[in-house]
Amino acid sequence: MRYTIAIIITAFITLSAFAQGKNKSGKNVVIKYKKYESFDLGNLEIEGKIIAPGDLSVKERSRRTFSRALFEREQFDPEVRNDIQNLR
Amino acid sequence: MKNLMIIFIALYTSQSYALMVKAEQMYIEGKKKKDKNANAYIAQELYKSKYHYSAVVFAKEHLIEGKEFTPEFENLIEELVLKTGTMSFYGLKANILKRYPSPSLRFILGLRQFNYKRYDESIAALKQVPDTHRFAPEARFMQGSALNLSNKFDEAKEQYLKCIDLAQNFEDQSENEKLKRYFAIVRESCVIHQARMLYKNRDFDGALKAYEAIPKTSYRWPYILMEKAWAAYQTGNYNRTLGLLVTYRSPLMTSYFFPEAEVLSSLSYFRLCLWNDSLKLIDQYYNVYRPHSDALKNILLRNKNSHTYFLKLLLAPIKEKEKLNPFVRNLMTQIRKKIKFSLDLVNYKKAQNELKYVKKLKRSEFTEKLDEAVTGALAWRTKHLNHYIKKQMFSFINDMHRFSYEMFNIKLEVMSLQRDLVYNNESLISDRSRGSHENIQRTSDEHFYTFNGEFWADELGEYSFGLKSNCKRIDKKQIAATK
Repeated sequence: MRYTIAIIITAFITLSAFAQGKNKSGKNVVIKYKKYESFDLGNLEIEGKIIAPGDLSVKERSRRTFSRALFEREQFDPEVRNDIQNLR
Repeated sequence: MKNLMIIFIALYTSQSYALMVKAEQMYIEGKKKKDKNANAYIAQELYKSKYHYSAVVFAKEHLIEGKEFTPEFENLIEELVLKTGTMSFYGLKANILKRYPSPSLRFILGLRQFNYKRYDESIAALKQVPDTHRFAPEARFMQGSALNLSNKFDEAKEQYLKCIDLAQNFEDQSENEKLKRYFAIVRESCVIHQARMLYKNRDFDGALKAYEAIPKTSYRWPYILMEKAWAAYQTGNYNRTLGLLVTYRSPLMTSYFFPEAEVLSSLSYFRLCLWNDSLKLIDQYYNVYRPHSDALKNILLRNKNSHTYFLKLLLAPIKEKEKLNPFVRNLMTQIRKKIKFSLDLVNYKKAQNELKYVKKLKRSEFTEKLDEAVTGALAWRTKHLNHYIKKQMFSFINDMHRFSYEMFNIKLEVMSLQRDLVYNNESLISDRSRGSHENIQRTSDEHFYTFNGEFWADELGEYSFGLKSNCKRIDKKQIAATK
């Protein structure tokens, strides 16, 4: 039990020694952040030219439709052949 | 009178028997003397004694052995082809058929090469059949067809015209009614082929005019209705197409059914933008043809390996056929009407009859040979006829499936166009056009009858629909604005 308490205390002292940062000259540096900061977007000004159109629009184009190759009779060659096969 | 008849039959039988005995003697002597032309003489004697199928056996042997070829033998070959059909010599090799200066054998060679799609060889063989020959009309017909299929249209036309003239002469000279009818069919076939040639060259009006030369009484007429409908369709006369095709629904034409006609009707409605009619026909096609296809498939699959089933079925008495699906019965009728089939069937029955007489002859080496040869020929003819019926059935079932695919394509196209209408917020000018006489196009020599739900024999093939094209699109927004 005694050993355990001793190990915890030693570890605590070592960690707190590392937590304090040092600069190049060896002085300790403490960093502090602002607790509250606000931006007024309405007062911000951007310099430049407006190149986007005034409103959004899509140019209408006709839909391209591809028709299927429907059945078409080009000739009656199979029937010509059949007629001869059915002769005499 | 009755006695006279008996005496005549007895004399005829004894004469025929005497000739048969003579043929047998020639066979024995020819074998002894090793006479190289013995087979030709035996064939002559057998022909004289009316044993035609037996004569074919010896005539073929003479041809195979490559012996002397006399004008008498050429006459015999010609007669045998006429009496027993082209099939008797069709099996001979091409080099044998080419070997002799015989127009009859050249005719068979031409037919053989045509069936193997060797059109140049077929034309070369058929050129050697002179116009004075008995097979000349058919030879010119076949020659014209071979030229037509080789895209030599001018030469083909020349041959078809010759065929028409020759067939007409033979028709006029024939005293036998069946022969007259046969040459009429050959003549009409040449006219139809000319029309088909015009169609192939996209002269649809010319084709329509040529088809008009076929009278309604012709055997070929029901078959060309669809070709006429196609020609009308190609000219954009969809109402005439529909009118021609409605003829197939006449009670007089129940045994004629063509799945292609249904596709063409559906296409015509489609071109008139009568999509609902087109879709209705497609559904009807599936409802009607699916049971037909199942019935046919059932018979075909169960008996596809049989060499006799289909012939027996076709020759069975009507009572037995009544059990069959009416569609299969009608298909049988359609097959029976084919010229080739009816001629082959007549020859088959003649061969059967001859075999009966051969079996009655006193047994000897000679008669055994005849028996074996005629039995073989008969078995081959049975298989051939059976195969013919089976093939017709298979090709019909294939047609049904092929056209079912085409119908599906039309359906897809209609659905795609309907979707486009919705996307574009448009609609067709009206949902259903009404018929009107104003929409009928016809030439001065075309008849026209209104179809009132009844078929009259003299009106068949003269109908035309009067449907107005529904293809004009209208903007739905504009309609709403005008309301």
